[in-house]
Amino acid sequence: MSEEVKIIDKEKIPSGATMLFGFPDVGLVGVIAASHIISELNLTEVAYMDSKLLPPLIVLHEGLPHSPIRIFGNGNILLAVSETAIPADVIYPIVNALINWGRSKNAKMMISLSGIPTQDRQDIQELKVFAAASNQEILKMVKEKGMEILNEGYMVGPQAIMLQYCAQIGLPALTLLAQCFLNYPDPEAAAEVLKELAKIMEIKLDVSKLLEKGEEIRLRARDVMKRTQQELSKMKKTQEYDIPLYVS
Amino acid sequence: MSNRKKRSIFEIISEYFESLEEMTEQLEERLLERPSWNKKTCTIEPLRNMMITPTEVIVTVDLPYTKENAIHVKPLDKNTIEISANMSRKICFDDFGMTHYEGEFQKLHCRTRIPVAVDINNMKVRFKRGILEVRLPRKHEYTIPIE
Repeated sequence: MSEEVKIIDKEKIPSGATMLFGFPDVGLVGVIAASHIISELNLTEVAYMDSKLLPPLIVLHEGLPHSPIRIFGNGNILLAVSETAIPADVIYPIVNALINWGRSKNAKMMISLSGIPTQDRQDIQELKVFAAASNQEILKMVKEKGMEILNEGYMVGPQAIMLQYCAQIGLPALTLLAQCFLNYPDPEAAAEVLKELAKIMEIKLDVSKLLEKGEEIRLRARDVMKRTQQELSKMKKTQEYDIPLYVS
Repeated sequence: MSNRKKRSIFEIISEYFESLEEMTEQLEERLLERPSWNKKTCTIEPLRNMMITPTEVIVTVDLPYTKENAIHVKPLDKNTIEISANMSRKICFDDFGMTHYEGEFQKLHCRTRIPVAVDINNMKVRFKRGILEVRLPRKHEYTIPIE
């Protein structure tokens, strides 16, 4: 593991789990979804990140300090979540360290939860969820589950780095992207991504509470969204709207 | 004799724009470094965005806990609009588990300055999925004739 980024285990980590990622990105889809998984599946903190690459910040919960990037888990699931926007220039070492850590715990698959910005989001009744994968077998598996594939286009942000690095090291990985607002917290999109995740992992995940708390989440998430926007603009996130120039 | 390579005018212009961009980013960050709530006015600042197209300017504002009839959009001058909305419930810091601040909020409020000329009297407003959308037609004050 890189010296710049350390991941400290708090308890014994189960082997062979599926590792999920919920990082601040468009619509905060990943973070909202991750937060719901933690409460719905009663996940507990199993590890946390310690890195001088991150801003000098801790998160206080019930008066005690916590790292902004933590890993929660139970027997089958590990979930990496960030409670603060990750600076654009440190995304590579942060994501790579998490993947290396997951690999050292024999994680069988990595799945990142995120969104894809859609200009007419306000008018879309039924949100689509797209998938992109690190290899053909995973693509085949998600197609069989009836999911649409993100065939061509650009992907920017932590999930892009995750897919690329996993493909490089031969670790199965999948990214689920729900249509969402670019700059507004989108609990409905988070619910859609969770429904697809439940299908893929064959688990029960009730999203009704998440939808009920939609307005509260939108109000609470304003500040994290605002800071995420700043980082997204540094990453040139709007490139995801661009038409790719296919070079064969 | 100096070993400094003579820079082309394009390099100088490119560097100038890069430093200008950097300064703008820093300024933006400084301006954003303030709380998103105002205890004195009991208001919360909503998230907002602006898109400038060749024909119109579209301002959107995320207004949670709001109904359409509780929203007010008011032009302040030819380039500024004020948006305020009463929320259906009072919000306290306690609701977010923060006990070290005091204050109650029942209103979302923001002002937006439009950076291009618009026909503010002909703005169109709609509210859908909790997002307010204000469309302002652009004013084209001059045209360049094609020879």
